[in-house]
Amino acid sequence: MNTEGDLLHTVTADNISDNRRRVGKVMVWGTALLCAALALWQMAYEMDRVARGFETWRPVLYAYMLWATALCAAQVIVNGEKGKRTLFVLPAALFVISLVVFPLLFALYISFTDWNLASPNGPQPNGTDNLVEMWNDGFYWNALKNMVYYVLAVSVEYVIAFGLALLLNAQIRARKFFRVVFLLPLMLSPVAVSWMIGKSMLEVRFGPISRMIRELGGEPSFFGTPETARFMIMAMDAWTFIPFMMIMLLAGLQALPREVIEASKVDGATGWQSFKEVIFPLMLPVSVTAIVIRIIFKLKLADVIINVTSGGPGGATDSVTSFIFREYRDRSNVGYGTLLAMVYLVLIVIFVTLLLKLVSRWMERPA
Amino acid sequence: MKVELYNYIKAAQKMNRRQVLKGSAALGAVAMMPKTALADGHANVRAEILKIPGVGAGSPTDSDWQKVGEMCLGATKGNVAEGEFEGVELTFMGLNNQNLHNFLFRGFLKPWEAYTGAKINWIDLAQADYNARLQQSIATGTVDFDIIEMGAPFEGDVLGKGLASEMPDWVKEQIDMDDYVDYLKEPVGTWDGKTYRVSIDGDCHSFAYRKDYFGADGIGGAEVPTTWQEINQVSKDLVGKEDPLTGLPAHGYLDPLKGWGGFGFYFLENRASAYAKHPNSPAWLFEPETMKPMVNNPAWVQAIQDVMDLIEAGAYPTDQINADPGTTAFQQFLAGTGSMLMWWGDVGSSARTSDTSVVGDVVGFGINPASDRVYNAQAGAWEETRNEAPNMAYIGWGVYVMATVEGDEKKKKAAWSAAAHLGGKDLSLWASAYPSGFQPYRNSHFQYDEWEEAGYDRAYVEDYLGSNADSYNHPNAAIEPRIPGIFQYYSVAEDELAKGYAGQYGSAQETADAIAAAWEKITDQIGRDSQIAVYKASLGM
Repeated sequence: MNTEGDLLHTVTADNISDNRRRVGKVMVWGTALLCAALALWQMAYEMDRVARGFETWRPVLYAYMLWATALCAAQVIVNGEKGKRTLFVLPAALFVISLVVFPLLFALYISFTDWNLASPNGPQPNGTDNLVEMWNDGFYWNALKNMVYYVLAVSVEYVIAFGLALLLNAQIRARKFFRVVFLLPLMLSPVAVSWMIGKSMLEVRFGPISRMIRELGGEPSFFGTPETARFMIMAMDAWTFIPFMMIMLLAGLQALPREVIEASKVDGATGWQSFKEVIFPLMLPVSVTAIVIRIIFKLKLADVIINVTSGGPGGATDSVTSFIFREYRDRSNVGYGTLLAMVYLVLIVIFVTLLLKLVSRWMERPA
Repeated sequence: MKVELYNYIKAAQKMNRRQVLKGSAALGAVAMMPKTALADGHANVRAEILKIPGVGAGSPTDSDWQKVGEMCLGATKGNVAEGEFEGVELTFMGLNNQNLHNFLFRGFLKPWEAYTGAKINWIDLAQADYNARLQQSIATGTVDFDIIEMGAPFEGDVLGKGLASEMPDWVKEQIDMDDYVDYLKEPVGTWDGKTYRVSIDGDCHSFAYRKDYFGADGIGGAEVPTTWQEINQVSKDLVGKEDPLTGLPAHGYLDPLKGWGGFGFYFLENRASAYAKHPNSPAWLFEPETMKPMVNNPAWVQAIQDVMDLIEAGAYPTDQINADPGTTAFQQFLAGTGSMLMWWGDVGSSARTSDTSVVGDVVGFGINPASDRVYNAQAGAWEETRNEAPNMAYIGWGVYVMATVEGDEKKKKAAWSAAAHLGGKDLSLWASAYPSGFQPYRNSHFQYDEWEEAGYDRAYVEDYLGSNADSYNHPNAAIEPRIPGIFQYYSVAEDELAKGYAGQYGSAQETADAIAAAWEKITDQIGRDSQIAVYKASLGM
């Protein structure tokens, strides 16, 4: 019986024999070995190194599940009561590893193959060919450049969202009604927005907005030049997601300590002064959070583009995601498409980490 | 028949109550007849099935499909004994577009199941999911269906990889393949000299124009243009004029300038086929010996240049750069913008029946425009002869039996019997005359007497379907290559064309070169040697 160490959370002190421990270890290592051996064998079979093997990788999956089960059981067999505590978390952890880490590793492997679904040879590792191709791929760099524009547009969205939040925070008539109304665009699917607005309201010939412009003597064209097209995409995306920032900022505004603002008024601050010196600084943490989340949303922008412009004219509105979508769905170019997605993932991780680092000093409310 | 076309014909002709009653009375008589009388000769069956449910008597329902399936069982009974396939289970993968396709097949095959004893399980797919599902099944080696409804462009992916079962001779006889329109005969549906496809549909692009633009006082000129040179000239001349119907700016030909998941490339092909499809060779997209793209030869460059010229001249409606084929057909042409268009059959039918269409009374049809000169790729020179080459875009749907049935003779015979039933000569007549998602594809479908007897307006049917028949049987029809990944080539071409049209390349030649370079990459990725072999097989070389 183990009576040493931290006994605070121990219900029973187990008496675990060496034999029992040995059984547990054998179970874990035995099944692990089985799983690894099967995987290696199957890999050798797929690479034509051995003559006999399984038709699919399913037996390896079963061995993995056997190992996972043995690992869980062994916790109790080896550690007794303490092992049961581990058992509360271990299955969930294994589940996450199976569904996140494995696919990620598999994707990493695929991204260094020339896998095209139409190819009769299936995925063949092709070294750094995909990286070289990406380096020379004008469409990808163009899409990355567009992403910079799209992300920069968040600053404008922020200003508008802050303005709306201030308005809705003020004592205005029908405030609750307006709060709901301003939230409506967020409830719409971007796909619906792209059809209702991009393809209907803005339709050049019979779209109501076009008609109005024509009535006023203008000649409507919303997607004719790269600049206007990009602007229209930004506007549609902003229309959908400004309410999201607005609602976050509104929540922040309502949580502000009243007394500080009232104190500034007592001190004779004008509206602008109290905003600049009190409200805005106090709102910085909320603002930064809203902006960061919005940027992360923005990096995934694709649906509106795919539906309205397909990336045109001439790639002016292409986002990385919409380009990968074409590469992947229309061209079944799984290997290259996956590499682009992986590179984009790395870029996003670096970018967001730097961004968070940079803004961390504003995340704390000033004392 | 496409649904829209059916509605169009109904709207186009005045079906009086007497005619409808005549049809119903005949149907009643059929119902009372003993079964043996039904099998009494082809002509009788054909006339009788066309009366189910009767033109103008509403859309057919499941019971109608079953009735038709029952009445067309004669051919099956000749080859299969009753209950012969007892215990056989087959899986059929097909589409569920507009509640047609598989829904009809279920009805048609129900009497077949009852007679043969086989059972069919169904996999229904939406059009958008179809390609991905098929490609994944092929790539991951998980073909879980025995019979598939498939378009000919995918033959390279399926037949080229040996995934399908070769058609037995008795099936060829049962479905009377000689009756197919010319372009659906070999090499379409065959691979390495073996036959695989039971055709159930035909496809081609045809020319639609606004009659009010042309004629003695027409703003587009006295004659309807018949060549691409004329079309471009008319389109340029129309700049600044007013549309006679809408009062808005007049426009000529409508090129879609935005991609459409690969399908947009068919529309550049419409122009290019007249220049590039020389009668001396079936190849017009790749050189068969090397898979070197022909898309940057002078013929294709001319087609791209034509489009660029019209952009330059300001001949298109504003925002045309953001117009895909769907936009040009349904939001522009049918809504009264522009005067000339190339599309599949349904634009003609939608012209009258669609609520948004304003051009129903002023639309006329023709075949793919010609060119004054044609590029001879073998000689590497232009020839100053007129050339016509209708674009058989997509080639239509067919039924294929997968290799999963090989090794089990009973199952194989059952699968082929089911496919032959669906592609039967009589049953297909019904499918081409009523909403089914399919167009006529047999010479016997163009016997206008049968249509007239069934209650259709002869003049209309002759005029409209006639243009299809002319395209189908054209000796220089441009057939697309049935090679693996053909839509990948189209899709990447769309991206490069978009750049070219937006002025990011210096010239049409540069644009075409960029497409060719991208195509070479795809060919290398899929495997050049295998693509060459497959391409030659698909051309029947």
